[in-house]
Order: sequence, then C-alpha cells, then structure tokens
Amino acid sequence: MVLLILLLFLAAAVVVTFPLDRLLGRDAGWPLALVLLALAGVVLALAPQVLGEGRTIEFVRPWMPTIGVELRLRMDGIGWLFTLLVTGVGALILAYSTRYFPRGPRLGFYALMTLFAFAMTGLVLADDVVLLFVFWELTTIASFYLIGLSGPAGSRPAIRTFLLTVVGGLALMTAVVLMALKVGTTRLSVILADPVWGEDPTFASVVALLVILAAFTKSAQFPFHYWLPDAMAASTPVSAYLHAAAMVKAGIFLLMRFTPAFGALPVWNLTLLTFGLVTAVIGAVFALQQHDLKELAAYSTVSQLGLLVAVIGVGTEAALVAAAVHTFAHALFKAALFMVVGVVDHQAGTRDLRELGGLRRRMPVTATVATLAGLSMAGIPPLLGFVSKENVFKGLLEAPGPGWIAPLAGTVAVLASVFTFAYTYRFVHGAFWGSPRAPQDDVVEAVPGFVGPAALAAGLGLALGPAVSTLNPMAERAAADAVGAEDAKAELTLWHGLSVDLFMSLAAIALGALLVWWTASGERLAGRRLFPVRGVTIFEALRSGIIRLGRRTGDLTRSDAPPRHLVVPILLVAALAAAVLVIGPDVPGLYGDPSGPLDWLLVTLAVTSVCGAVVTGSRTAGLVMVGVAGFTTALWLFLLGAFDVALTQLVVEILTVVIAALVLRRLPRRFHRIPRPRAVVTGAIAIVAGASAALGAYFLTGRREPSEVSRYFLDNSEEDTGGTNVVNTILVDYRALDTLGELVVLGVAGLIIIAVLNSSGLLPAHSDRTLAVGPSSAAYDADDNTLVMRAATYVLLPLIVFWSLLLFVRGHTDVGGGFIAGLVGGAGFALMYLAAPSASVARISLAYPRIIGSGVIIAVASGLLGYLDGAFLRPLHGYVTLPLLGEQHLTTALLFDVGVYLAVVGVVLTALNQLGVEGSLPGESTGGTMAPTEDQPPTNDDDPPGRREGPPDEAEAPADRIHVDDGGVR
Amino acid sequence: MTLAITIGVLVAGAVFLMLQRGMVRIILGFVLLGHAANLLLMAAGGTYLRAQPLLGYTAADEASDPLPQAFVLTAIVIAFSITIYMLTLAATGRDDDTEDAS
Repeated sequence: MVLLILLLFLAAAVVVTFPLDRLLGRDAGWPLALVLLALAGVVLALAPQVLGEGRTIEFVRPWMPTIGVELRLRMDGIGWLFTLLVTGVGALILAYSTRYFPRGPRLGFYALMTLFAFAMTGLVLADDVVLLFVFWELTTIASFYLIGLSGPAGSRPAIRTFLLTVVGGLALMTAVVLMALKVGTTRLSVILADPVWGEDPTFASVVALLVILAAFTKSAQFPFHYWLPDAMAASTPVSAYLHAAAMVKAGIFLLMRFTPAFGALPVWNLTLLTFGLVTAVIGAVFALQQHDLKELAAYSTVSQLGLLVAVIGVGTEAALVAAAVHTFAHALFKAALFMVVGVVDHQAGTRDLRELGGLRRRMPVTATVATLAGLSMAGIPPLLGFVSKENVFKGLLEAPGPGWIAPLAGTVAVLASVFTFAYTYRFVHGAFWGSPRAPQDDVVEAVPGFVGPAALAAGLGLALGPAVSTLNPMAERAAADAVGAEDAKAELTLWHGLSVDLFMSLAAIALGALLVWWTASGERLAGRRLFPVRGVTIFEALRSGIIRLGRRTGDLTRSDAPPRHLVVPILLVAALAAAVLVIGPDVPGLYGDPSGPLDWLLVTLAVTSVCGAVVTGSRTAGLVMVGVAGFTTALWLFLLGAFDVALTQLVVEILTVVIAALVLRRLPRRFHRIPRPRAVVTGAIAIVAGASAALGAYFLTGRREPSEVSRYFLDNSEEDTGGTNVVNTILVDYRALDTLGELVVLGVAGLIIIAVLNSSGLLPAHSDRTLAVGPSSAAYDADDNTLVMRAATYVLLPLIVFWSLLLFVRGHTDVGGGFIAGLVGGAGFALMYLAAPSASVARISLAYPRIIGSGVIIAVASGLLGYLDGAFLRPLHGYVTLPLLGEQHLTTALLFDVGVYLAVVGVVLTALNQLGVEGSLPGESTGGTMAPTEDQPPTNDDDPPGRREGPPDEAEAPADRIHVDDGGVR
Repeated sequence: MTLAITIGVLVAGAVFLMLQRGMVRIILGFVLLGHAANLLLMAAGGTYLRAQPLLGYTAADEASDPLPQAFVLTAIVIAFSITIYMLTLAATGRDDDTEDAS
C-alpha cells in the first residue's frame, strides 16, 4: 500500500503544480520540494524493513485482467535505492529551481519535473514489464518536453534526444513482448527467475541485446553518447535532475534489474564491459576538452555512466555492490556539480572557462561546494567518491573470461580515472581557483536557497566517506537482488589495507596530476577535434536520409488524378482473380436455388442502363442512365426480400437525381469527348474488373446456409427489442452504435457541403443552358411553368408528410424506419423546391445545420438514456396501456430513430438549399424575386416579404459567383 | 448467378467512368460502384431465401438474412451523402469539369 501512496502523492504533486504555480510563481518549487522530501523520508523509514529485515514490499491491483497485466509494484533493494535517489535528489533540485529561475510562473517546468519524478518512481518500482515499459516511455516524453522548454535553441536537441531514446524504447518493447510470450507472464520478478535464461542461451542473448540497446540509448553509452551533451540545451535544473541524477540512471537501473537473468551470459558481460569502458574513456577525454562547464559536466556524466555499465557487466556480487554505491555517490556529486554550474552561470553570467577563474574570492561557499563535489568525483579520500571508485576497480578486477580481461579492464578504468582527475581539476581550478580571466566586480555569492541544495548534496558526499559503512545494508540488499542471491556481503570502508585497488586509486590520482601538468589542465587539448565526425552530424544525416527515402516512396503515388491511384488496386484485384481462376477455385456447391426467373429482366435492365451511361455524351442522359441503374438496384433489393432497403434505394435515387440536376445546370450539356485510345484502354480495364467482380461474387457468395448471426437476429429480435422489423431492430437496437457513427458521417457530409460552398462559391449556371422555348411560350414564365407542379403539391405534400410519419412510427414493426421516413420527408421538401417558381421562394427557411446537429444530439441523448440499463445505446422498452390506444409498445429506440430522421432531413435540406441557389435565369423572377448579390446578402424567408422587392434592373444583373445561404448559422 | 452478372456489369461501368477525366463521370461511376457493393453485400447473405424479414409476415426460418440488409440500408444513405458532397465539388471552384482537354 505504501508504494501506491508514494506514486499517488507524486501524481497529486503533478496536479497541484497548476494552482501552486498560479499562487507562488517560481516559489512553487518549495512546497513541491517538501513533498518529495517527505517521500524521501518515507523511503528512508522503509529502510529497516527493506534493507534490515530483507523484506520486499509489494502492491497489486488488477489493471488489464484480460491479458494478465497488473498494476504491480515491488520495492526490493534496487527499487529502494533508486526511489531514494529520485525523490531525494528531486527535492534538492526543486528547491534549487526556486532561485535559479527569474520570478514569474514556471508552470510547464514544475508540472513536467514532478511528472518526471512520478514516471521515474513508477519505473523503478514496477514489477510488471508492461508497466515498466509505460513508465520508461513516460520518462522519455517528460525529458523531451523539458528540453523543449528552453525555447528554439532546445527544439532540435529535444527532437534528437527523443528520437534516439524512442529507438531504445522500441527495443525495450520488443524485449518485453518476447519475454512475456516466452515466459507466459508479464510479472517481472517471475520473468527474471525463470529458468529459460539458462536453458535457451540464443533467446536469452537476443533479449539481452535488446535490453542493452534500450539501456545504452537512455544512459548515453557509446555510440549513443552524444545526445547527453546535446541535451544540455535544457535549463540547468533539468540537466541536473534528468541528465545527471535520474533519467540517465534509468538505463543503469534497467541493467541492474535484468542482471539476474542475463548476468551469466558471455554476450552480456562482453558487451557491457567493452562499451562501458570505451564510453568511460572517451567521455572523460571529451570532458577534458570542454570550455563550457556544463558540457564538461555532461561528458563527465557519460564517462561515469560508462564505468557503471562496465562494472554491472562483470556481474559478480562485489561488482554490483560497487555499482550500487557508485550510483549513489555519483548522484550526489554530479547533482551538486550541475547545480554549481547553474549558480556560476547565474551569478557570473557565463559558464565558459575562458572567462571564469578565481571565483573563490567572490563566492567562497560555492567554491567550497564545488571543490568537495569535485574531490568526490575525482576519487580523493576521504570522500564517498573515493570509496565507490575503489570498489568499482575491485569489481572490474573480477571480470569473467580469459585471464587477461580483468587486468585490461582494470587498466582501462584507471585510464578513465586519470582523465577524470584531470577534468575535475580543470572544472574546479579553472572556475574557482587560479586567477580571474575577466573582471568580476559585480559577481556576488549566491543566496543560501540557491547554493544550499548543492551544499547539502556535496556535504553528504563528505559525511558518507568516513561513515560509508552505513551504506553497507543498502549495497548488500541491492547486490543480492541484482545477482539474484539470498544475501550478499558488502564491506565498505574507507581503509582497506594495502590492496590492489588502493594502488589503482593512487595511480589514477598520480597520473591524473601528471596529465594536468602535461596538458596545462586540459587547455592543450581543448577544442581539438579527436574524431573526424560528430555524433549529432551522423544522426542528422541519418534522419534526413530516412525522410528523403520516405518522400521518394511517396512520390510514386503523388498525383491529383484519380485514375493513377485507382488503376493499381483495380488491376491487382483482377490479377488476383485471374490467378485464382488459373489454380481453379475450390469452393463448396451452391446452396439452394440462387436465381429466380424475374432476375434476368433485371440483368437486362442493368446491362442497358450501364451501357447507356458509358456511351452517352450528354450529362443529363448519363445521369438518367445511372438513375435507371439505381432503380434496377432497388428492384433487385425488392426481389431479394429487402423491402426497407429497396424503398430507401428508391427514394435516394429520386433525391440524387434532383440534386444532381441542380448541379448539372452549372455545367455544359455535354461531357468532354473521351479520346479513342483512352476509351480502349479504360474499357479493357473495366471489362477485366467487371469480370473479376462477377466471378468473385459468383464463387464466393451463396454457398452456405444462413449464418448463425442472422439466425440469432431472426429468432430473438422480437423478444429482445419488441420489434418485428428485424432490419430496423438491427439498426436501432442491436447495432445502434454503428448507426450512430453513420449518422455522424451523414451530418458531417452535410456540414462539409456548407463549408465548401462558403469558401468557394458555386459556379454560375452554364451558358449552354438556355430555355428551349422563347419568351412568347406559356412555358417561358416560371410562374406559369410551375402551375401544374404547384397544384399537385397541394395534394401530394400532405400525403407525403403523412406517409413519412407513418413510415417512421411503424418502422420498428413494419416496413419503415428513421432512414426511409427521413428520406421521404426530404423528398417532400424536394417536391416543394421543384414546384417553386424561383429559387428564393423555394428556399426553405429552416436552420438545417441545427436540424442535423439536433439529430445527432438526440441520438446521443437516447444513447445516454441507455446507461440507466447499464450501457450506452442500450434501448429501454416496455409496454404501457394508454387511455385511447390500448396497450402500446414504447422504446427509446424510437427516440434514437428521431435523431436519424432529423439528420437525414437536415442533410437533404442542406443539399437543396445550398446547391439550389440560383442567379437570374431567363424566365425566372416574375414575382420580383432577385438573385442575392454582394451588397445584399441572401436573407432567410422569415424576413418581411417587402424587403425582397428589389429594383428590377438589379434582379437582371448576372451574378458572377452566387452567394450561398448558410442556413442561418452565420 | 444473375446477381453476380449484375454486379459484374455495374462494376465494369463504374470502373470505366471512374477512370475518365471530369468530375461528373467520376461521380456517376462512384454511384454505380456503390450499387455494386451493396448488391455484393446482399449476395453475401445468400439469395435463395427471398422473404422479407418482417416477423409479422414471415416465419423466421424462411426470412432472408437481415444483417446485410441493415448494412446496405445505412450504406445507401452514406453513399448518398458522399454523392451530394462530390456533386458540390463538381459545381464549385475552378471550372475544370468543362475543359475539353484529355
């Protein structure tokens, strides 16, 4: 439970950063630091249990039970150590931040820092590999944003760091999946204890390499070391926490965590030792070359992490004791040094060694802190760093493999330490001792709140040197967990007697002093390029190369012409059909008799209409022919017993023709000609495609008994829903969520039409389109012309309205439903529209976007009602006895259908009103109606009619682009 | 068999029209393709049972498959909305549907 409380407190801290930042500005860091300090106190209070009694604290809560993933937390020695570091160092850094930043809100910074602390704590406590991965990625994301906070200069480094660590994250994910599949559980402690790691060395090696890749990217090991100095674009508190003490330690944590599984694998030992030592040396050499204190500290971190990786690679008990202690010591001295860099930068205005020097006179406290931390880093007794480094040497001397490996590893580590001594001297002496290289009259000592946290960290390094034996229980428990043993022995003391590792330490110090003298404390090496290329350059080249490759690939299909895109899949499908035909399809026989005698009539109709649509040069004829094909389809549906669907198809066909006619007026009468070669090629493709479709339909359908799901609907719909129209019950009861989705698509299509026409107006009526009759004909005048239609409307409209309502109400039990009823209602509006003598009279003054919207809202609301019975969109139904009507069946599905109805009607109204607006056509406007023009925008019909009486000359003016009514939403 | 032929004919017409230049032909092709797809869905349910799935009129074991019918019903309405959207596109912007170039 205490583990969950730890995490919950951190999560709560993330949330309270928002009000705290409002209230306190940069001082919000104080309360947050207190929270982390309290949590560090909790961790310390757990020490007797975890370290003393050797107990492991666990917490389990189901998370994704279907795949067996649990929210499982576990604190063993390793978890304890890293949790203490994350909370303790976090508290110091947050306190430090309050004086680092200028006054003012720091919301993003504090929220992300606490989020990071949360993620890191979750990572080190996770006992489920999925959970581990999630927290791992969360640290990556937090790091990305924290680096990005430092403005434009940070954006490229943030992206580079992110991409690189994401690569590591992908490797970790692959490892997690492989482990979970092989072992059969996602529980980390079980996976680590599984015998498979010893039994299947190949598998173990693959997973080990993936874990190593993840850890190397996170902990900046060669060849990924360059991101860490690159990430120094972040503000100093971020660097101090993420890139010195916490995030980069995630990789170290991961390696320690997986040592029980991989510690005995040669590939593990060899890779970690080699890359760790290489990193340690090149990091130290690069550090000695830096002018910038922060970059120096960054490369130093790279080097120290390299030592840690190498010593973990040894895999013995003593080596892991060393890893645990050195992780601890490094967190203390490196956090202190980074904070000192920030202090110097803040007080002296630069962190360039060429402009610093002699700061001890102005900033004695900071100079002391830096010196203490530096001595620890350089491994000078009696500081903690001396003990930990000596243990690292001792651990490396136990390196497995042939006899020459251990001495070589020890020698290389000493070499790295020689450079460590030198760059530490460069750091401390260059900045604080020596003589000033630039005037420092206005430099003053930092306020206590600023330098205090650093002093605390450095002071701990001093105090824990002589008192290092207090760390014994921690090191023993962590090492025991890491090697998978019951318990381990750590004998940490300042004085070991005259052992080999003591002489190694002394050699490192002596040679380091020599190196300082020889390179003039690094000046002779500084700024010189040792490698021909920089890591960042390689990374950028790779990245832009990948993007270029993607663009090349995309170029293959980058075209505006639909045929270019369509031809490929069409031909591929045809090729597939041909291949299957050659092999000979192996399908069951036809089930039942699939054809009826009337069918052939429909085939003939289909052939005729399609041929007509293809060969005609007239747009109107093409539209009519496609309409005939639509009616044929409707008849087919009717023959197949789908009355509802046939009716829908029929009404849709009518409405499509009406709306298409509105559009075709704006286009020439005739299509452009298809050149002969194109007709031949596309015709051939079409025939091949049609043949494939026909063969596919013939061989792949109609060869089984009725499906179980259709049986279910037919057998149960009446009982489940109270409806007997099974199709309608599927739409509004069983699969209402699908229908809701379709409703939204429908509504969005309507709104897009409005949006498109608002941004680019309709084309005017095409010049081809003239009236066939002259002004002398009775049909010329629109009022006379529409007389018959208007008369018919008086009779038909009430009937249509009635029919629409009837279809709607009885839809649940009989032919009908919201879709059909809505379409029939829409057809009623279409009739009104066609019968009107002019566009402005015809315009229907309903706010159709609102009708669409209310339709969707009503459908969703009826879905929410379903929660009364436990699920979204579950219909509630029952029978009630009404006074006059007797017993009636009522269901909320009917309410859902109201939504469907409104959305359909709204879309039809949208199409009619948006596409039907018209400039002046000959013969129109006898009623004094006028086309909307720029200075007189269209009005809704609820305006007083007098306003529409425009002067006749204006009515005659041809409108170039016609203004579009937006249905009253403007 | 008959339904398969109808589907083939509709697909052939649709593909021919959709491979042409000019928005209106493409739209008409799209409409035909919609018909073909809907009929194919119906075919998937089987064509030998042809009684309407209205339980007031038909016994449950004689009724045609209602599920494809529900799919097709909504598919028709969605194809309709996409069609009118495409028609809107044909009637706006640059008048590129009338160019006689190919």
